[in-house]
Amino acid sequence: MTATLAPDRTATAVERQFATFYVGHMLLGVDIRIVQEINRQNEITQVPHAPDYVRGVINLRGDVATVVDLRTILGLPKSDSDRQSRNLIVHHQGEAIGLLVDRISDILTLRGDEITPPPTNVDGVDGRLMSGVCTLESEIVVLLDIDAVLADGARQE
Amino acid sequence: MAIEDPELLAEFIAESRDHLSHVEGQLLQIEANGAEIDVDLVNNLFRGIHSIKGAAGFLGLVTVNKLAHSLENVLGLMRTRELSPDSAMVDVMLRAADALTHLVNNADVSNDADVEVHVTKLDRIFASADGSLVGVSAASVKIEEHAHHGLRHATAADFVEEAMFVDSAIEDDSPATGPIDADESLPCAESSAASGPAVTNAPLVDEPKTASNAAIQAPPVAETSIRVQVGVLDSLMNLAGELVLGRNQLIQALNTEAHVGIEAVASRLDQVTTELQEAIMRTRMQPIGAVFSKFPRVVRDLSAKLGKQCDVVMDGKEVDVDKTILEAIGDPLTHLVRNSIDHGVERPDVRVAANKPAAGTIHLKAYHEAGKVRIDIADDGGGIYPEKLKKKAVEKGVVTAEQASRLSDREAVRLIFHPGFSTAEKITDVSGRGVGMDVVRTNIEKLGGTVDVDSTPGQGTTIQITLPLTLAIIPSLIIQSGDERFAIPQVNISELVRLRREEMGKRLDRVKSAEVLRLRGSLLPLVRLREVLGFQTPEGSDGESDAQATTNIIVVESGQQRFGIVVDALHDSEEIVVKPLGRHIKNAPCLSGATILGDGHVALILDVAGIAVHEQIRSAHDDVIAGKGEEQSAGEEDLQSVLLFTNHPREHFAVSMDIVARIERISSDQIDAVGGQELVQYRQSSVPLLRLENLISARAPEPQNWVYVIVFVINGKEVGLIAPRLEDIRRVPTNVDTITFQELGIQGSLTMSEHTTRLVDLFQIAEIAHPEWFADRPQPSVEAGKKPLVLLAEDSTFFRKQVKSMAEERGYDVVDCEDGLVAWERLLEGDLEVDVVITDIEMPNLNGFELCQRIKQSKWGYLPVIALTSLAGASDMQRGMEVGIDDYQIKMDREKLLAALHNFTGAKAGNNRRHLQPA
Repeated sequence: MTATLAPDRTATAVERQFATFYVGHMLLGVDIRIVQEINRQNEITQVPHAPDYVRGVINLRGDVATVVDLRTILGLPKSDSDRQSRNLIVHHQGEAIGLLVDRISDILTLRGDEITPPPTNVDGVDGRLMSGVCTLESEIVVLLDIDAVLADGARQE
Repeated sequence: MAIEDPELLAEFIAESRDHLSHVEGQLLQIEANGAEIDVDLVNNLFRGIHSIKGAAGFLGLVTVNKLAHSLENVLGLMRTRELSPDSAMVDVMLRAADALTHLVNNADVSNDADVEVHVTKLDRIFASADGSLVGVSAASVKIEEHAHHGLRHATAADFVEEAMFVDSAIEDDSPATGPIDADESLPCAESSAASGPAVTNAPLVDEPKTASNAAIQAPPVAETSIRVQVGVLDSLMNLAGELVLGRNQLIQALNTEAHVGIEAVASRLDQVTTELQEAIMRTRMQPIGAVFSKFPRVVRDLSAKLGKQCDVVMDGKEVDVDKTILEAIGDPLTHLVRNSIDHGVERPDVRVAANKPAAGTIHLKAYHEAGKVRIDIADDGGGIYPEKLKKKAVEKGVVTAEQASRLSDREAVRLIFHPGFSTAEKITDVSGRGVGMDVVRTNIEKLGGTVDVDSTPGQGTTIQITLPLTLAIIPSLIIQSGDERFAIPQVNISELVRLRREEMGKRLDRVKSAEVLRLRGSLLPLVRLREVLGFQTPEGSDGESDAQATTNIIVVESGQQRFGIVVDALHDSEEIVVKPLGRHIKNAPCLSGATILGDGHVALILDVAGIAVHEQIRSAHDDVIAGKGEEQSAGEEDLQSVLLFTNHPREHFAVSMDIVARIERISSDQIDAVGGQELVQYRQSSVPLLRLENLISARAPEPQNWVYVIVFVINGKEVGLIAPRLEDIRRVPTNVDTITFQELGIQGSLTMSEHTTRLVDLFQIAEIAHPEWFADRPQPSVEAGKKPLVLLAEDSTFFRKQVKSMAEERGYDVVDCEDGLVAWERLLEGDLEVDVVITDIEMPNLNGFELCQRIKQSKWGYLPVIALTSLAGASDMQRGMEVGIDDYQIKMDREKLLAALHNFTGAKAGNNRRHLQPA
């Protein structure tokens, strides 16, 4: 587990940036430092016998990267990718992994004290997948604990 | 300390750590499973600990060896389900594993460490489950002995002494095998230890930092650096220059209006790229001598330990292989060498008694062959006795007695690669726990290689390993299944079969639930890739690919498994660059990696061995195929073995192997002519010889100094047919063309390899040559002008005709039926006064066994039943006895069949009729 990804619960004044995106109606965010790139790739090669949350693999400039379906991990119903769906490529444990999201939103800068610990669940999504939540004017941003999101899958294997 | 060979020690540590890193997780999993023992998991762990034990024993690390041994004992019981793990046991084992990790990390001082507490606890668990004989007290006594210091010191001293024998091979440049072979590398090792990834297991840092200690703390550094010859670097530099030049030319060409010269540039770039690729590959190549160099020591130590004498001869040390392969092959090779000494080479007294030199020889040979690396490990030891192996295999439940009886000698010898197999009479710590050869095979196959064994009883055994030159780029065939393309490594592909739609019914079949392909007389298990991969089959198709005009089947081999994969389409052959799969999917059972195709798409690489495991080709299909293989006659695809030969070089002939007694090669001047009959002397008797050109319309052969003689038996007398040149023995369909060549002495013709081949009827040609031999043959006893009636059930038209005409020729009446059911119904009609039934075994609708059973249980129960088979297998016989078959005859052996007919009709015919009358 990479230390940099652990939620920073102690700092209050330190500002952190999050890339936010929608999966279903949920606005989610991940620490921007682990985001390598965002691309739009519809040529995903299916991987037989892969866990159900794995959408497939893509050619990421000569490397083969796994694409996981955030919907499945979060326990939301599956949907086909559409024109707005994107691959959010994160760098995690030495490997580039694509998170399939429905729509990309903004980059959000948050102070530590704006982030509150996650409740046990948000809209049916297990709180253990979150590192915190932040209430904006009109909606809530759920900050994902990327270790939990990607490791959870590993356990299912 | 005992170990004078830091290179070996470093390897041992790196390897053992690798094993130990999984132990904790595995133990915990075992605990979680509780009584539901996952044998594979335990096996895995067992092998890991076993490897550590073996290597430690060899290095003289007695404490590690002892602890690992105790741990292994307990695991051994769990593996055989004699012991059901509970938390307390796992606790002890975890602690023991921790201690083992500690010992390994501090291997140089491990012999002075005290692990008695763990050993005692483990042995107590072992003893408690192992039965009453080995009580706790006995175990403790053993421990006391082990703990005795004198023993330990003696061992250490031995090793110091032996260390003097280590040749200077360690001084060789062998960067692959660890960076620390001498003191001067200390700074390097230390710095890597400091700057490398976090040191995970370092519980004993207060030890003095000697060179080897620094190495222990460092993670396997060997992988991170490599020595490259300056010459290779120079050529890389040149090629890079060429590449830049090519790029410039390309840009220039693109800037012109019509892209002038772009083709020339492309071909130049193509060439440079290929050369660059080769040069880069060369940097990864290392001589195999780096691995070989440790074997003299292994051989020496082990043979001394076992009281054997053994020399080692090595060829091809300079053969280069890819670094990754080199690193991975060390272990399997070591195991094989140790195995050769332990199981192969006999004790000196045994050898001398067998007229061999007292010292055995192990010959290691590496060479290039057809773009691959071959490594042969040959010993001149006792060899492997197939029968003994079969017996063991049956005892161990590896195969059933029935399966064993069907194995050829070569197949039997290959049983050594079967998991859980070992021929060692007693358990030694050298080898012989049933781990080993299967692990060796698995490891070699992981590298994309194959391993085979060839053994001559009494003379020795050769293990042959074939490895790819590199793992990074593999030639593959791109295929399609569903919408996705996949790569199958060429190394796994043995052939491609394309079936046209109209052939499918004939060539594809189902045995129980498994699909099979008929391929040159054998049945090959088939898997459909769509189904294997869980893809949806297109709508409107029931999975039998009716929609397609052709079916593409890739016949693949992996280890001993051979099967066909049905794919949707074949694409090109490509050299693919292997890319690893991410951690979420790297455990997918049928995949070994991914690659990027020319058009940028990702294609997954299929793991043939994985598919075999996933589809349980081995277990399920083997049985099916073995069962099916014996019938050999279903419908028109009935098969027989024939010996192919030419008389005149352009005239091809065949004879059925079933009636060939043996084949001799004789010199032409051994042939005597006595009274117009040619003879050859053989073991004090003279065998009359026949020549085809004298008996049928055939051209005479060209004169030769020597010829082959096909010997067959007529009425107990040997007769030889001269066959100037033998071509092959093949299994061919029996639906022979009986129209084209209608000549006495010829059964019919076949087309083989574009030659029309005439099938010779040996009995008929003998009769043509010597009608007098057949003068006193038995004639059926004719009762009141009535010929005995034979009811014949045979599904092969060819055989049916043969048997019918043969029997009719000898004065029988024959009612022939296409299968058992027809015969049965014919019998039921009640108007036939049948005297004897001849039936084929394998027939559609009602087979020979079932027919016989029905007959025997009916009012015709007295009728003698003769079964015809292509090959009389023991299990067949058994089954036949049970249903009441009176006699077995081989299809092509007409004389014996006629004799049997005579026996059954002669004496019994009269009685039988009487029984029939009331009906």
